[in-house]
Amino acid sequence: MTETRAIETDIGGPLESAAPADGLWHRLESTIFGAGGIVVLLAVWEALPRIVTLSAGTKLFFTTPSQIAETLWQMFATGSIWVPLSVSASGFALGLGLAVVAGLPLGVLIGRSPTLNAMLDPFITAFNATPRLVFLPLIMLWFGLGLWAKVIVVFIGALFPILINTYEGVRNADKTLINVVRSFGANEWDVARLVVVPNAMPYIVAGLRLAIGRAVLGVVVAEFFGSESGLGVMMVQAAGQYHVDKVFAGLIVFAGLSLIMTAAVQVLENRLTLWRPQRAGGE
Amino acid sequence: MSDQAAPHQGFASRYRNVLLGLLAVAIFFAAWQAVFLFVPFNPLFISKPTLILQALVSLLVSGDLLHDLAISAVPFVYGFSSAAVVGVALGIVMGWRPRVGYTLDPIMIMFYASPLVALAPLVIVFFGVGVSGKTIIIFLLSIFPFIFNAQAGVHAVDRLLINVVRSLGGSERDLYLKVIVPSVLPYIVAGARIAVGRGLIGVLVGEFFAASEGIGYAIARFGDLFALDKMFACILCIMIIAVALTEGIRLAERVAFPWRVGQ
Repeated sequence: MTETRAIETDIGGPLESAAPADGLWHRLESTIFGAGGIVVLLAVWEALPRIVTLSAGTKLFFTTPSQIAETLWQMFATGSIWVPLSVSASGFALGLGLAVVAGLPLGVLIGRSPTLNAMLDPFITAFNATPRLVFLPLIMLWFGLGLWAKVIVVFIGALFPILINTYEGVRNADKTLINVVRSFGANEWDVARLVVVPNAMPYIVAGLRLAIGRAVLGVVVAEFFGSESGLGVMMVQAAGQYHVDKVFAGLIVFAGLSLIMTAAVQVLENRLTLWRPQRAGGE
Repeated sequence: MSDQAAPHQGFASRYRNVLLGLLAVAIFFAAWQAVFLFVPFNPLFISKPTLILQALVSLLVSGDLLHDLAISAVPFVYGFSSAAVVGVALGIVMGWRPRVGYTLDPIMIMFYASPLVALAPLVIVFFGVGVSGKTIIIFLLSIFPFIFNAQAGVHAVDRLLINVVRSLGGSERDLYLKVIVPSVLPYIVAGARIAVGRGLIGVLVGEFFAASEGIGYAIARFGDLFALDKMFACILCIMIIAVALTEGIRLAERVAFPWRVGQ
């Protein structure tokens, strides 16, 4: 494992051959360069207005990392962030939850039935390829500016990664295992419960990870164009008033939300797939 | 189509999936049309396939639709092509020089993870509602698939093959034409497929926000006017374009890189 990894990273430099002696440096190299890149970026950004004098117009649009951090801290300290954040988070959670509830069974169903798959395929292809944003004016017309419009936008965005990945996972289920379970008298429900879904779990988790990114995007756009409250609304208002630091603070909160959710899915995946190595060891 | 189907044995089974798909689409539209025989029809809330078709024809005949599409296509082409050029170049450098990759990777992942659409209001305020603002939004949204895929493509170049070409006396040109490009290109095209979708989001975001023409603006305006038949016609039009672009690229992938089918 470690060996293939080393070969992989080495591909890049035909002229560079890493000295095998200093293993520690080699292992830390990527971390050091990565952290260094971010530090340099932040430092240049911070220093820019001090080195170059910006025109008054540009200054209006310019902000520094320290200012963003300050704003973010203020928002948490005064508690002004909690109301919009909770509005956005509830839209996010409801939409994502509904997408899981609808996408999982549907994915298993079309994975198990070729006929159903062939019939639904045009719709899935079309809706997956189309930017969901296109339905936003329609959704606003139907559901108004409240929570449900947001939930629907998030739902449409998150549904397809879950649906498609579940389908892929189900299709890749081990035929032998299915036949074995069948021979022991299992019905379709048992097959799904015992073989198909556990086998599809890595795919489903990967789909869930994609879905989280799309769900966050859904919350942002839904709040930009048709909502009364939420973090996205706060950001649009801030942009209109040239509070650029507030826009970036909102961006960071959204990115944080998606990172935390992705990490949670990772934990979930580790818990759900605990049995995998054990089974491999047992056989 | 149907008279061809009869004489050929096995036509139905060969094209079973396509036929089932077409059938389902037909059923869907028929059911949509038929449901208003039983449910009262409110044109301010929903439309019917026949009305949408009429609206589509009238928009096509009057040239409004083509005009809006042409307006939207300009920033899309600018933003998408510049994202392709910059993204591929950056991705190749990041893949080829490990240290550049180490340095830029976390930054790129950071940008990719944050919903960049959120910067749209800022970009619009700064660059205005014209072509430049939209171009930048489209560029920002569609560059990352190119970067990540070009980088992955470079990593996937088989080093053994490079050495083989070198030892057999291949020139640098052979190296690029026979090994590097064939192995990187499929990744870039796959990236382009993802980037097209994101670029279309950019078009719509830019035009929903602030625009006076373009297909996204048309959808928003018809929505505001409760002209649902025209709105559905425009939505349908975007759906067709999106499917045509992504499936077109997928088809091109299958034709141009048959060895990658199934991946």
